[in-house]
Amino acid sequence: MIHKSNVKQSVLFTILIIILLASFVLGVSIGAVSIPPSEVVRIFFSHIPGIDRYLSAGLVPEHETIILTMRFPRVVIAALVGAGLALAGATFQGLFRNPMADPYVIGVSSGAALGAVCSILVQSIWDIPIRFGIPAFAFVFAVVTIFLVYSLARVGGKVPVMTLLLSGIAVNSLLSALVSFCMFFSGNQLHQVVFWLLGGFSGRGWDYVYIFLPYGVVGSTVIFIYARELNAMLLGEEPAQHLGIEVERVKRRLLIAAALLTGACVSVSGLIGFVGLVIPHIVRMLFGPDHRTLLPAVALIGAAFLLVADVLARVVIAPGELPVGIVTALVGGPFFIYLLRRQKNSMF
Amino acid sequence: MLFNILGVTCGYGASPVLQDASVQIHTQDFVGVVGPNGSGKSTLLRTISRVLKPLHGKVLLDEEDIYDIPASRLAQKMAVIPQEQGLNFPFTVRDVVMMGRIPHLKRFAKEGVQDLEAVAKAMDLTDTDLLANRQVNELSGGEKQRVLLARALAQEPKILLLDEPTAYLDLNYQIEIMELLARLRRDYGLTIVMVLHDINLASRYCDYLVVVKQGSIHAIGAPHQVITTNMIKEVYGCDVRVECPNSIERPYIVFNSEEIIAVRKGRERWVHVVGGGGAGVLLFRNLLKSGWKVSTGVVNVGDSDWQEACRLGVSITEAPPFCSVGVDEVRRNKEMMQKADFIIMTGIPFGTGNLGNLECVLELAEKGNPVIVVDNIDIGDRDYTGGKATELYGSLLKRGVHIVKSEWEAIHLMEGDEEKWHPEVSWFL
Repeated sequence: MIHKSNVKQSVLFTILIIILLASFVLGVSIGAVSIPPSEVVRIFFSHIPGIDRYLSAGLVPEHETIILTMRFPRVVIAALVGAGLALAGATFQGLFRNPMADPYVIGVSSGAALGAVCSILVQSIWDIPIRFGIPAFAFVFAVVTIFLVYSLARVGGKVPVMTLLLSGIAVNSLLSALVSFCMFFSGNQLHQVVFWLLGGFSGRGWDYVYIFLPYGVVGSTVIFIYARELNAMLLGEEPAQHLGIEVERVKRRLLIAAALLTGACVSVSGLIGFVGLVIPHIVRMLFGPDHRTLLPAVALIGAAFLLVADVLARVVIAPGELPVGIVTALVGGPFFIYLLRRQKNSMF
Repeated sequence: MLFNILGVTCGYGASPVLQDASVQIHTQDFVGVVGPNGSGKSTLLRTISRVLKPLHGKVLLDEEDIYDIPASRLAQKMAVIPQEQGLNFPFTVRDVVMMGRIPHLKRFAKEGVQDLEAVAKAMDLTDTDLLANRQVNELSGGEKQRVLLARALAQEPKILLLDEPTAYLDLNYQIEIMELLARLRRDYGLTIVMVLHDINLASRYCDYLVVVKQGSIHAIGAPHQVITTNMIKEVYGCDVRVECPNSIERPYIVFNSEEIIAVRKGRERWVHVVGGGGAGVLLFRNLLKSGWKVSTGVVNVGDSDWQEACRLGVSITEAPPFCSVGVDEVRRNKEMMQKADFIIMTGIPFGTGNLGNLECVLELAEKGNPVIVVDNIDIGDRDYTGGKATELYGSLLKRGVHIVKSEWEAIHLMEGDEEKWHPEVSWFL
């Protein structure tokens, strides 16, 4: 376990940022048309006023179009979703003081999935194309699910973690059953539904970034604000209250923030598993449990991880594309097992 | 007045655990809350610490309802050390103690010099500075308890509430933590309220005790007022003795084992033990346990047999300390012996002071009273009378008394076939 010597920490954070930037460039440059990283960097900087005229010479216009309208937004959204899921996962794990918690634990994901499936079916049955139907439906359903689970778990003005988990599980399985029900009757839309459920970023443009951003920003800001409270709540809710924290209020805000963040992630990318569960664990091994360093590190590593996973998803069966959820599980699983075996003492 | 707890009824869900409790706590009080398991002690503490909202009544802190005080301001005044330690995450000790500064910090503010000083002081007082970089999840129960205390002190509170602070601690640390709390109270004017199981510890350190029984307050008062045999009987339903060695201030309780209870049931079989210097202790205990009525004498006041006999409620013919056994005492002792079903002569040393006892036993043996002689040490080795005792002892053995080699044998003998036993027949076991 690496401990908080400040120097070590800033070194680690610098490394993380470099890794994130590198995977960013990698993500943009790799694809059906390969564009060298140096050109990617040049194209990027050529859009910054002031230095643009030194760099724009000799750039291939087609490359510029590919990068700016297709690759760039895709990579950005992958990074945002990675960061968002990892942050939400860390928050849920902290709130529940449970290493098994992940962003999907209270059923937000199956709510979003049901929304997406409904949207696909509605569009195909009545043959009416709805602009951003899937993300909009998914998000609305996710939000409704959050409030459903939350109000189910409420006992006399408080929301005990245990009832929250249990009502989350109950709602989760109910909604999953509904999703399966819809899939059963989805006929030739089944492929689209399954593909969405497995998660991915193909064809996501800037619009999706804009859809995501407001919720992403609000959700993660709230989480960052309550980093210190999350630390105290790791020691238990009563001790946290004795330290002057309004536990129920903080818990409610964090829950809603993390659930909104999850909902936003799921609605733009589908169900990408593993990021929200494993990244917080890995970061905890590196940085310790202090959320003030854990959260930013989680966001950076989550973003980089999903970027790389997306690159792999595009590369392994090129020109075809794997759903990124498969890649995260395939890559993340063994890595996580390796870490577990290496560090046999407590994970949390 | 610091805390004013007014007619608080409190509980989980709708069923109250604590009914109509009123307590006043003043600044710098050291208060112990005692009572049996499930009586509502912890509930009382949780009510004061604003974890449980009372169903009726209210808790005033400095004349202000605690529910009107924002959590962070309350945490600046009051620190709580819960029963559950909950230190399962790999924070370092310093991190955890630093969390005690949360109520003093503005959002986003970094810990300043003042905070670091408070933490350093708290860690110094609790001897946790050596653990500073250790991870709390790897500490022992006692170390964790000290870390929690350090965190509470880092809050710089006026009031410290503790739920069973000694539960995880060995004897050494129990005393240490109580001494530390007493010192904090004295030096920093802290008010301390703690739930304690150990009545003796509570008596030793608390100014007054709140005794909780079945959800209501049974008694409030100084230890010497509250801790009585009756109170323990009423509240805990068990028999103890309350002892006050030096003054009336700090009583302590001693658990009775079945011996006293057996006496109360008392089969009227009476045995008289001639002992002294601790020779009778084993016999007293075990005979009482088997339901015998026991008497002893003549012993000097202050002798270890005398002490034990007093403690166990054995009837005694006593002589003043360090004096020879006088004629009067011998007479009274003989009366007692005559009533006994058995007389046991233990292997005591004889000097001129207690030779009267031997003479008396011999006399009764001659009259045919049943006598058992514990002949475990050669009489020559314990004769300090220049042969007189040896002579008397010799004639005693010839009087058809029963001779055994140990106290246990004497007990077995008496417990066995007492009907068949005749003093005329000597059995050598």
